Parts: sequence; C-alpha cells; structure tokens
Amino acid sequence: MNLEDDLRRALQREAAPPDFAARVLARTRPRRAFLFAVAAAVTVAALVPPGIYQYRQRQKATEARDQLVLALSITQVQLLHIQQQIQHHTRHAQ
Amino acid sequence: MRLDFNRILADNQSLVFSLALRFLRDRAGAEELAQDVFLQLYQRLGRIESPAHATSWLRRAICHRCIDEARKRRFRPRVALEAVPEPSTEPVNPDPLLHDRLRRLIGELPDSARMVVLLRYQEDLDPTDIAGLLNMPISTVKSHLHRSLTVLRGRMQKQEICR
Repeated sequence: MNLEDDLRRALQREAAPPDFAARVLARTRPRRAFLFAVAAAVTVAALVPPGIYQYRQRQKATEARDQLVLALSITQVQLLHIQQQIQHHTRHAQ
Repeated sequence: MRLDFNRILADNQSLVFSLALRFLRDRAGAEELAQDVFLQLYQRLGRIESPAHATSWLRRAICHRCIDEARKRRFRPRVALEAVPEPSTEPVNPDPLLHDRLRRLIGELPDSARMVVLLRYQEDLDPTDIAGLLNMPISTVKSHLHRSLTVLRGRMQKQEICR
C-alpha cells in the first residue's frame, strides 16, 4: 500500500453543491443594491442642485424681461401723452 | 481592471468547499464558511490582481477560517464521516472503504496537522507553500507531515489487524 497515493485519491476535491454559486451570488445582492442606491443618491445630488439653480436663474430672467416690457409700455404711454400735449399747445399758440 | 467574480467563484468553489468539508467534516458548516470566504473576496475584489492571486487568497482565507472555526467549536473528531457523501468523481481505488477510513483518520488529526495534510494531498502544495500559507516554519510543516503519515500508517495497520 502506498499511503501517499491513497491519501491523494481519498482527498480528491469534491464538487460544491449545485446551488452553491447561486447562494453566494444571492448574498452579494444586498451589497450590490446598497452600492446602486449610493450611486443613485450621488447622481441625484450631483444633478439636482445645478438644475434648481438653472431654474431659478431662468425665473429671474423672465421676471426681469416682464418688468422691462412693463417699463417700456409705461414710457410709451407717457411719451404719447407728452406728444399730445405738445401738439395741443402748438395748435393754441397758432 | 476588475476581475470577474462569477468566474472566480466557478473556478474555485470546489477548492474552497472541499478544504472546508474535509477539515470540518460538517457539510452545512463547510458550505457556510465557504460562502463567507467568497463574500469576503467579493468585498475586496478591487485589491485582487489576478485569478491566480484570487485562488491563493481564497486558499489562505479558507485555511485560517477553518482553523478558527475548529477552535471556536472546540472541534473534536466525533462527527461520523459517514454523514459526508462520497466525492462526485469516480473512485480510482477499488476499495472505497479505504478512502472512508483514511478520511476518518485524517479527521482525527490535530487541527494544524490536519490542515497540513489536506493542503499537501488535496491541494498538492509543497511544504514551502504550505509553510507560507499557514505562517509556520517549514520544519514544522515537515514534522506535521511526517508524524501524520506515521500516525495514519500505524492506525491503518491496526485496523487491518483488528478486522
């Protein structure tokens, strides 16, 4: 009997259970889900503040434009009024 | 480059599971320990440089986890090896009982000696590699091997006489 040869034969590797790999992978999933959630949170944190800033800037620009349009309208009305008064005085003077 | 964990798992599951099973002689415990070791590897996959590095890391990890587990359980070779199914590979030896007896006798060796024998005859590692893996002097590895073989040979002969 060659003990060393017998030991090698007796200690041949045994295949892991058929669902072993699936069970290991299932145990890695919570970590994958966690990493995905962290990645999603980082993405949201990176995208949302610039988005909000852009929205506010656009809102301010719209308000400024509206105010300018209003100011120009008032000025136009005033100018029209002055022009009418000038014309009135000119007619009376003649 | 991140390694393919699924591939590492497929390539090494037999190695890790077999070492744990032969050492603990407890199928459920071996599977749990093997799963834990693969999860540990998964968590540090970024630090693993190659498939060979992964294999070496897994072998080292399962050896140390097994020895720790045996200490925790204060493991004594009282669990019948009959509970452990036969290897899936076809036996080469015409006497399957011989393998059973050998595995049972290996299970009765002290923890360190048992792991040395498993690494030598299951994993076919030489004493230098075993010494590196288990952080023990090479002389201790050789001594474990020599004494284990003597013990196993003696017990096998004793059983032959008793039969």
